[in-house]
Amino acid sequence: MKDQGGIGARAHRIGGVGRVTGAQQYVADIPVADVLHAKLVTLDCAHARIVSIDKSAAEALPGVHFVMTADDLPKPMPRFGPEYQDRPVMADGETKYHGEAVAAVVADTKDLAEEAVRLVKVEYEVLPAIHSLEAALAPDAVLVQDPAIRRPGPNVDSNILSEYHFGWGDVDAAAKEADIVVEHTYDWPSQTQFAIEPHGFIAAPDDDGIVVWSSIQHPYQLQKTVAKVLGLPMAKVRVFAPDPGGAFGGKQHTKLEPLVAFLALRAGRPVRLILTLEEAFQAVRRTGARIKVRTGIKRDGTLVFQDFENHFLIGCYADTGDRVSAKGSFLSAGPYRTPAVRIVSRSILSHTTPTHPMRGFGIPQVTWARESNLDEAAIAAGVDRLEIRLKNLVKYGEEHVPGDTPADGDWAQTVRKAAAEIKWGTPLPQGQGRGIAIGVKSGPTTGLSYSTVRFLADGSAIVFSGTSDMGQGARTIYAQIVAEELGISLDCVAVVMGDTAVVPYDQQTSASRSSVLMGNAVLNACRDIQRKLRARIAEMEEIADAAITIDRGVMRIADREEPLPVVLARVLGRMGGEVVGNGEARKDAIAEHPLGGTALFFEFNCTAVDVAVDEETGETTVLKQITVGDVGFALNPVQVTGQDEGAAIMGMGQTLMEHLIWGPDGRTRNLGAIDYRIPTSLDLPKELHSFSIENADGPGPYGVKGISEGSLLCTAPAIAAAVRDATGAVIRDLPLSPERVWRALKERT
Amino acid sequence: MTETFHLELTVNGRPRSVDIVASHTLLDVLRDDVGLTGTKECCVVGECGACTVIVDGKPINSCLMLAAEADGAEVLTVEGLAPEGRLDALQQAFLDTGAAQCGFCIPGQLMSARALLQRSPHPTPEEINEALAGNLCRCAGYEQIRAAVLAAAGEVQS
Amino acid sequence: MQAFRYLRPATVEEALGLLEEHGDKARLLAGGTDLVIELRNRWRTPEVVVDLKRIEELRPAIRVEGKRLVITAGTVMGDLERHPTVLERFPALAEAAAVVGSVQIRNRATLAGNICNGSPAADTTPPLLVYGAEMVIASRTERRRMPIDEFVIGPGKVALGPAEMVVAIELPMDRPIAAAYTRMTRRHGTDLASITLCCGVDSKGTTRLAYGSVGPRALLVMDESGVLADPKANREQKAPVLAALFAKASPSPTSMRAGPEYRVAMLPVLGARALATALERLGKTA
Repeated sequence: MKDQGGIGARAHRIGGVGRVTGAQQYVADIPVADVLHAKLVTLDCAHARIVSIDKSAAEALPGVHFVMTADDLPKPMPRFGPEYQDRPVMADGETKYHGEAVAAVVADTKDLAEEAVRLVKVEYEVLPAIHSLEAALAPDAVLVQDPAIRRPGPNVDSNILSEYHFGWGDVDAAAKEADIVVEHTYDWPSQTQFAIEPHGFIAAPDDDGIVVWSSIQHPYQLQKTVAKVLGLPMAKVRVFAPDPGGAFGGKQHTKLEPLVAFLALRAGRPVRLILTLEEAFQAVRRTGARIKVRTGIKRDGTLVFQDFENHFLIGCYADTGDRVSAKGSFLSAGPYRTPAVRIVSRSILSHTTPTHPMRGFGIPQVTWARESNLDEAAIAAGVDRLEIRLKNLVKYGEEHVPGDTPADGDWAQTVRKAAAEIKWGTPLPQGQGRGIAIGVKSGPTTGLSYSTVRFLADGSAIVFSGTSDMGQGARTIYAQIVAEELGISLDCVAVVMGDTAVVPYDQQTSASRSSVLMGNAVLNACRDIQRKLRARIAEMEEIADAAITIDRGVMRIADREEPLPVVLARVLGRMGGEVVGNGEARKDAIAEHPLGGTALFFEFNCTAVDVAVDEETGETTVLKQITVGDVGFALNPVQVTGQDEGAAIMGMGQTLMEHLIWGPDGRTRNLGAIDYRIPTSLDLPKELHSFSIENADGPGPYGVKGISEGSLLCTAPAIAAAVRDATGAVIRDLPLSPERVWRALKERT
Repeated sequence: MTETFHLELTVNGRPRSVDIVASHTLLDVLRDDVGLTGTKECCVVGECGACTVIVDGKPINSCLMLAAEADGAEVLTVEGLAPEGRLDALQQAFLDTGAAQCGFCIPGQLMSARALLQRSPHPTPEEINEALAGNLCRCAGYEQIRAAVLAAAGEVQS
Repeated sequence: MQAFRYLRPATVEEALGLLEEHGDKARLLAGGTDLVIELRNRWRTPEVVVDLKRIEELRPAIRVEGKRLVITAGTVMGDLERHPTVLERFPALAEAAAVVGSVQIRNRATLAGNICNGSPAADTTPPLLVYGAEMVIASRTERRRMPIDEFVIGPGKVALGPAEMVVAIELPMDRPIAAAYTRMTRRHGTDLASITLCCGVDSKGTTRLAYGSVGPRALLVMDESGVLADPKANREQKAPVLAALFAKASPSPTSMRAGPEYRVAMLPVLGARALATALERLGKTA
């Protein structure tokens, strides 16, 4: 073990001590003097017209400060959203999903707030709710969104929010060339991120501005949104973003912060709103999808065409649902060489919880369909399921989507490693089966990150980074880079995050971007320091800049070597002070690209599993799960394994047990931990092995690529394939609950 | 109607005397009255284990225990694991294996693990999975958590 | 949670007095793992919560009294799953207790509370039915015993008067029954069961089957033909007998946990498995 070191070290997590002592403060833990407590008033139905709200009884309760409704907010109702500004601060005359707030209570204590919520009398008329693709697309379907707030376009009078067309080649012509064509439809259910920390928000008036605390992944986007909604300069909105207690995509964007800000401004005091887990389920979810795939191959398994029609069931507001539909679908055809591809993707509005991405950004949904269909084609052709993948997999530097970033790794190496580890081709006992699947996801298509590093007089350093450390360990990675570049030990590096007033801009924490983009910004800030030191030394020693090299913490002049802290001491001299470096990393937008930009890198994973199926009960047990990711370079192997195994287990849970269930009235029936099942320590694969392919060929520092979603991209098709291999049962919708497997076993031919 | 209750208990070895609302749970009182926020709130139905504390030697969900029930009890929370600021073997092992990712479930995991090692100083991996089955980790760091408990086994003083 | 008064009597008498005084405005608190959720969700809004844990007589204890195993009302699942006598004589009860929630839950949840809640999915009801357990019920005037099969009525309903409480559950030790418990869940970790099932056989060839979560209450049925317990009878001979025993199952058509068709289909599967284990256990004790 390389101890306390720079890059590649199994360094302890920075912030780890706080996490194991209970000192780490999440939003709910932060002491705020004189804080009031807010609680939301919601209706026990999805879609309703609000007739009247009587708050008199609630406001009469001593200790209740006020009840806020839409009437107390500016007119027209301020709306916001990451892509479409369609989400109101609070339900405006109509609720569009189960759990949408119609009023908010502010009181001295949580008990009083809860009591007051019960006293708010809401008269409402329940309206029919749409919560399925069929209902949303029915010709007489009620429109989820008023066309008046929609962007003009051909679909404005339907529940189709947007429609994308991607692809290349001529699918119809290619279809004639295929020996085998397999077409099926695959369903992925709606799911929820279920961070163990439910979302929490605090807002407090601050002189002529406002301070907002939120467990959010994108604090700078929150800052902008709050500023816009409140009509404040961004400089007057300070966002504190304490480390989220898990996010998984569910804490990316603004939700209730504008409402809490209005509450705090009206109260003239800090107001805190901590959601219950049930409310967190109602704050955000992952889109479900129905993917129709037609795959055409030659008899030898060569891909001829792939044809996709993707429908994503998004919520009542666009949120990021539309982007998930687009970005997920863009890579529908996967990492394969396919002469002709046609992709139609639609995001469909419904009276359900607004959707954020969840670990994988739509890719798990399309990968489930593509990889499952590819298996069906291979089986129909009598071609080995591993062979068909290797045969069609693009080579290093070859494009899989014409015009986009070509394959940025030796992907066959990853697939072969997974196959070798699962012992592909060796026999399994009766009742067991084996599956393999490949997932590939575009990393960020645009990005902008800034970092500042201060090299202090005693040779310690402070890094400023706007990334949210939600468990992925970003803080540790940046400290390791700084330790490496400045030649100091890890315990001499402090990382400052989560304060938009102090830390420079970062676009967002998503798409496994942070090690690459912010990592490069931190690296560049260190290089800026190195440059300044070199310039000063050149001046002091009256030599040319070019005569000095600085690399990984050491300065060299001819054959003389000097550690950077020593160099720094010489440079600062008796006056002391510090050297400040600034770094930037960007991935520029490309206007004509369908996604607004090419992939900065690809996350590539191959997962292989062995399962056992109980033929009487339909229960599936994952005996062995192999996940291999092309990580470029593991900056911190402990964290890489933690993220990858976490994604693998989460993927297994999503395959076997997770789904949101809506009642006929559109209410979410399984709110909370009792009936939304996620894996426990007793549900793990009997064996789980995570491997990294490291060829140092990523665009991040030292060749790193993002890795945090990898194994989740393709767990579902791998497990379903293994179930089929074990039993012959073909299942095209998730989760693979015992009941569903049992049904498929009965129906198998 | 607010019915109050005078509660005397020991938290992490320190006697505490607080007037509480009778309907408040031990979780409420630890966080809001005693001011120890290391114990976390998530599901409040005894499913997630984020609120796990040790009461009179046994791990329990503090969200399902009225604080009044803890009158006279000895309560150990995550803050009591390193009373002198020195990490105990379990905490150290959690750091070493990288078991703490987002960290939100970790106080509960630690308390369940602590109680396990007290009743079974050398647990098998299966015993660890069983003992920690009431502590959800959405980062799914279960493998690292189990490795940490195995590493710490035997080093925890009961 | 709505405000309430918290009271903790020291004796059963005192507790019964509080029940008489407050009537349906009082609610007994044993382990609290269900009650606290009900209070928080305001499914129950008692004015008085009567904590039984300070009552000496009810303190956790499992003891043999004559030909009975007495389990006090304060005994929690964790005590049961590890108790040597329970493990040896009533392993199906230990198995059921061991799957009630997590370790944390089992350190609080009482056996008496599990039964008195009247949940159709209560894990411990089927083994208690199979073993022929009796509830010991105290009122101000008397103590009486009632077979659990009469005590359990339907969802949330048990045969307990407003001023009565269960002080113990007793299991007969002079009727050797070899039994096994099994269940159907959505995951291996803690879960509410979509089927609970216990099968017991005795040396006379009687098979007792109790199953829950597939109707308003757990049912006890018997095969006295001896076919099920017959080690020489084959699968085909046993199947119709077993199927007949599950005739009264009526699983909810709207449950999120499993569909009715699946539950009905799984009953004989689980039944056969539990029967096999029970017969194996009978063989070992014979």
